[in-house]
Amino acid sequence: MAEDVTMKTTPLFISQSYLTTESNKTGSWRFLRPRYAEKTAPCSAACPAGEDIGRVEMLTAQGLFKEGWETILQENPFPAVCGRVCFHPCERVCNRGEFDEAIAIHNLERFLADTASRYELKPELEVLASKKQKIAVVGAGPSGLAAAHFLTRLGYKCEVYEAASEPGGVLRWGIPSYRLPVKVLRNEIELIKSVGFSIECGRRLSKNFLREAGERYDAVFLGCGYAKIPQMKIPGEDLPVVADGLSFLESISRGENLQVKGLVAIIGGGNTAIDVARSVLRVGGKPVLIYRRRREDMPAFDDEIAMALEEGVDLRELRTVTRIERSGSEYLLTLQQVEVAYLGADGRACVEPVPHKTETLRVEKVFKAIGLQALQDWYNPPDEDTGSLRLANSVLIHANGGPAVVYGGDLTNDVKSVVHAVASGKEAAIALDVFFKEGLEAIPVRMSQCVVGMGPSLSMEIYVKGPRCQRSSHIVLYEEINADYFQLSPRIVEPRLLREERIQSFAEIDLKISANLAIKEAERCFNCGLCNQCDNCRLFCPDLAVKKDSESHGRHIDYDYCKGCGICVVECPRNAMALQEEN
Amino acid sequence: MQLDVPDRDYMYSGHVGCPGCGAAIAMKFVLRALGDKTMMVLPACCWSIIAGPYPQSTLQIPVIHSAFETGGAVASGVRAALDAKGDKETCVVTWAGDGGTFDIGFQALSGAVERNEDFIYVCYDNEAYMNTGIQRSSSTPYGAWTTTTPGQDWKKMRKKNIVEVLVAHRIPYAATASIAYPEDLTRKVAKARSIKGSRFLHIFASCPTGWRIPSETAVKIARMAVQTNIFPLYEVENGSKYTINFMPKGYLVKEYFRLQGRFKHLTERDLDQIQAMVEEDWQLLLRKAGVRLQG
Amino acid sequence: MDDVDPTPTRVYPCPSVSEIEGAMKKVLEGSHGVAEAVRLAKVKVISAYPITPQTHIVERLSDFCADGSLPARFLRVESEHSALAALIGAASAGVRTFTATSSQGLALMHELLHWASGARLPIVMAEVNRALAPGWNIWTDQTDSLAQRDTGWMQLYCETGQEVLDTTLQAFWLAEAVNLPVMVILDAFFLSHTYEPVDIPAQEDADRFLPAYQPRFMLDTANPCAFGQLAPPNIYMEMRYSIQQAMDMVLNRFGEMEEQFVDVFGRCYGAVEPVQCEDAEIILVTSGTITSTCRQLLQELRAKGERAGLLKVKLFRPFPTEAIRQSLGKAQKVAVVDRNCSFGAGGIFAQEIRAALCNLSDGPQVYSYVAGLGGRDVTTDLLDEIYRQTKKQDCCPVESIWMGLREVSYAT
Repeated sequence: MAEDVTMKTTPLFISQSYLTTESNKTGSWRFLRPRYAEKTAPCSAACPAGEDIGRVEMLTAQGLFKEGWETILQENPFPAVCGRVCFHPCERVCNRGEFDEAIAIHNLERFLADTASRYELKPELEVLASKKQKIAVVGAGPSGLAAAHFLTRLGYKCEVYEAASEPGGVLRWGIPSYRLPVKVLRNEIELIKSVGFSIECGRRLSKNFLREAGERYDAVFLGCGYAKIPQMKIPGEDLPVVADGLSFLESISRGENLQVKGLVAIIGGGNTAIDVARSVLRVGGKPVLIYRRRREDMPAFDDEIAMALEEGVDLRELRTVTRIERSGSEYLLTLQQVEVAYLGADGRACVEPVPHKTETLRVEKVFKAIGLQALQDWYNPPDEDTGSLRLANSVLIHANGGPAVVYGGDLTNDVKSVVHAVASGKEAAIALDVFFKEGLEAIPVRMSQCVVGMGPSLSMEIYVKGPRCQRSSHIVLYEEINADYFQLSPRIVEPRLLREERIQSFAEIDLKISANLAIKEAERCFNCGLCNQCDNCRLFCPDLAVKKDSESHGRHIDYDYCKGCGICVVECPRNAMALQEEN
Repeated sequence: MQLDVPDRDYMYSGHVGCPGCGAAIAMKFVLRALGDKTMMVLPACCWSIIAGPYPQSTLQIPVIHSAFETGGAVASGVRAALDAKGDKETCVVTWAGDGGTFDIGFQALSGAVERNEDFIYVCYDNEAYMNTGIQRSSSTPYGAWTTTTPGQDWKKMRKKNIVEVLVAHRIPYAATASIAYPEDLTRKVAKARSIKGSRFLHIFASCPTGWRIPSETAVKIARMAVQTNIFPLYEVENGSKYTINFMPKGYLVKEYFRLQGRFKHLTERDLDQIQAMVEEDWQLLLRKAGVRLQG
Repeated sequence: MDDVDPTPTRVYPCPSVSEIEGAMKKVLEGSHGVAEAVRLAKVKVISAYPITPQTHIVERLSDFCADGSLPARFLRVESEHSALAALIGAASAGVRTFTATSSQGLALMHELLHWASGARLPIVMAEVNRALAPGWNIWTDQTDSLAQRDTGWMQLYCETGQEVLDTTLQAFWLAEAVNLPVMVILDAFFLSHTYEPVDIPAQEDADRFLPAYQPRFMLDTANPCAFGQLAPPNIYMEMRYSIQQAMDMVLNRFGEMEEQFVDVFGRCYGAVEPVQCEDAEIILVTSGTITSTCRQLLQELRAKGERAGLLKVKLFRPFPTEAIRQSLGKAQKVAVVDRNCSFGAGGIFAQEIRAALCNLSDGPQVYSYVAGLGGRDVTTDLLDEIYRQTKKQDCCPVESIWMGLREVSYAT
């Protein structure tokens, strides 16, 4: 047919679209509004150092090992150490533990630190502008080093004094190298110092120092720790056969070639006693651990006790030593059997002797490892009185006119652990910073503003108003995790030396894990309360109201279209969102 | 960490689906897997409205709205026209609700697949005539309240098993899918797209409005339907080869029913009876799939 | 709006074959004539469901598709409703389409007849006029197609085998000119199954008259949009008005179409065909095969000196009001023969003619007769009786007069 003008003007008006529905702003329908709302993972609140563990695992799962390592360093300068010797309270509260097995946080911490070390990475940690105050730190053990490290990062000038020839304190002299190799420790300390302070070794200070400190310093941190075993007050205690367990460990740490033969009795139940016993094994002796309560009452970490027994340490529970005497070339120990009379308020057994039940033990050597004391009285914080502020892990004293004095570490902590020592160092640093800026009265308030979850752990990142302070303090419960998005999968098993190999030397027992395994394990982490960009919110939104962008979350909610159905919040596997009323 | 699903969307925001609409989620996933060389036949259903009134369209592909019963027939015609034009690339998809599939559209569907027309028929199932106000369809499950099965006259007929009907036609591919399992759903859509002949997908699409559930639980409820064996995920090739895609934990159906207002009138005895029915159906499916039964 | 010239330039019967090169003259059933036209139109998608007496159309088309003379896709759908649904889909995808049906099948399609016109799809359908059940009756009756007169489809009623072939070709032209679907209507058996000599055009001639289809819109992944979605009150009326405008346009362009057809084939029919109406006092109005019978009667009446005339109505939708007025306006009386009935009203052609003439100041009386329902033969005697009655009466009854009814005894 011919080209026809009329054909073109024949009206053809049909139902045919030429616009999208985007002009319809369905966001006006909303009466509830979803938003991204990160919360606190239970592990990070349980960690005395407040490490941002959920985020660490998230970065590890993504292969961002350096970033994961730096995230730990934000809160704890000792990842290589803690990854080996920490008693990991985090794992006990891990929500994954209610699903299948807790994440191997401890192993992953070590993995990150070792990886950083292998690649000789240098951390990029923020150091604030210089401040005028100068602080003396007495003792370069974990609490002192942590205090100096955090204070330096806050901009203060620190001078650290250490009595021994090398820094490290209990880390260097008290923990054997099969748990913590010296090289690892030395490496870690170098990195800790690298924020900008130095340590003067071989300087033993006197009480006068504390009295005169105010002339040169605005504050003093005392982290002198334990270096002495107290008297048992039993006959025969002063015989040459009886040695101080701590000194024994120190000698080994110095590399002295000690030989011990035959049966060796170790009296005590703490980590020191265990370390002594296992060291005795390695230098040729046969250790017998004598403890006056039950195994479950022993203050030593459960892992350590288990490994000691595995290695062949003989444990005699519910025995006290009443007498030590010589018998020819050997020595005779008289042991008194005791039994549980009742359980004390702290759940530990209170014992009383069983009449007529004694035994003797022939030994070549006796090591004392009961109780611990500070070497000098003045290392200890004074008793509670006005003018002293008792914090979670430390005590701060400010006498009129003098410098602020903070006591930290084992001397002020109920739990004697490395991570608690670190916590007290951080606490001291923050407390002093507040003290200098606002005075003593402001300290409790400011501390409460930088706790992780409900506290008492503090976060340096929150204190300096880093991104972590956006998170709510609500601790994510297992019930709030959408477990439908996770498959059962077993926890990695960290490889170890075989038992026979272990006791042949002081070589490190725990072996390293591969990056592959580390990533797989880190992927098991729920990342409770954190957004790991799984994209479920965007995937399930029926209105395509979650849009990708280049912001920190990687996406944002387009409130022009969001109808507030809340599916994103429910389908977020890790409770990193919240649904609130539209105002 | 991220679910493995194609990323590009072919839908716009601003549509008028209810908050939490499972049918909107289903469309979103299906389009992601089909891509834009797709033409859609849209018989009367909720999506007739969601797709946008004149002059709008919420979809980024060509759409032909059609009369209620005609999903299978219009698609046959579109396909024939494309074949006559030599177009081998474009995929023809019918997007129908349960009403337009199980009931009024059944004849056209059966006719089209009997002829093995080369198209994909997707039924998104919200288990009632939702668009017209929650009336009962043959897809409404046993036990449900609807506006035409109210009070004590709740539906006492079992849900029609549409997939088995299609399987009896021996079509190349029939499968169930759920909005709560996007990886499985998109995999099946992609697989369907690559096959010639009639392909049928039955997608479970929760409806907060019609099921009386809070909108935020739409996906969760869909997941529970699979986990309780009420809506098993499986595929059937050429009318005989059954593959069950997911062996659920076998939660009790009570859990699923308790969460929905449309079932709140059911007594313990009713629920027990339904549990037995679900197990019976599940056992039958297992037998068809040749899965060895324990005990 | 121009008037349609009611006087055709050429009058039936058809011209000699030899004038048209390459054409073939064969003796064909009416059904097969439709099939030939569909083949010549190079339809791409056919979709049909069998119903007597349409079957010969689709069977012949199946043969064409199978032997390659018509490279079309043939969908053997499972009902008439699906047949039209499939064509709606195919036409929306931009190809030429065809179906055929009758009676019950057409009634089943009803919903979609509205859809096809509302969607402005140029679908062509051959509709074999057959009575509606119950009781089952496969013979000719116009009620089925006329019951669909509101659906927005063009309706063309055919008288002969040649006309039905030609009209089918013309249907595509008209449909694609204004984007409205067309029914080509033929009487069951009297036309569908009756053999007549028919000119089958050559393909090149068919192509000259009817070039390839160029859709004004279609489903296209390169330009995606939605068709047929919700049209609220603020816009629906305009869409409907557009359909009415298209129907009006058909009246405008019918003559143009016939001119082109005449150019190529030398035949034309007119929207209406008046026979000896200029001086007629009484004009009989018929459609379909009754017209042939009436032509015979007309000759007889004229031989007796009666001033009778005959108006054949071919185009029923759009209703050719002007042509009707022109042809019938000067007569005294008009007798409309309806092979149909709208119960509660009367013969449908009569109603529409009365409406067309009602505002004429000096118009004729219009008598309405219902005859031949369910295939009952309409003989010259019956038509003569109609003429006689019309002539005798002074007062024109409002109601339709049913012719040739028998006495029956009612069982219930």
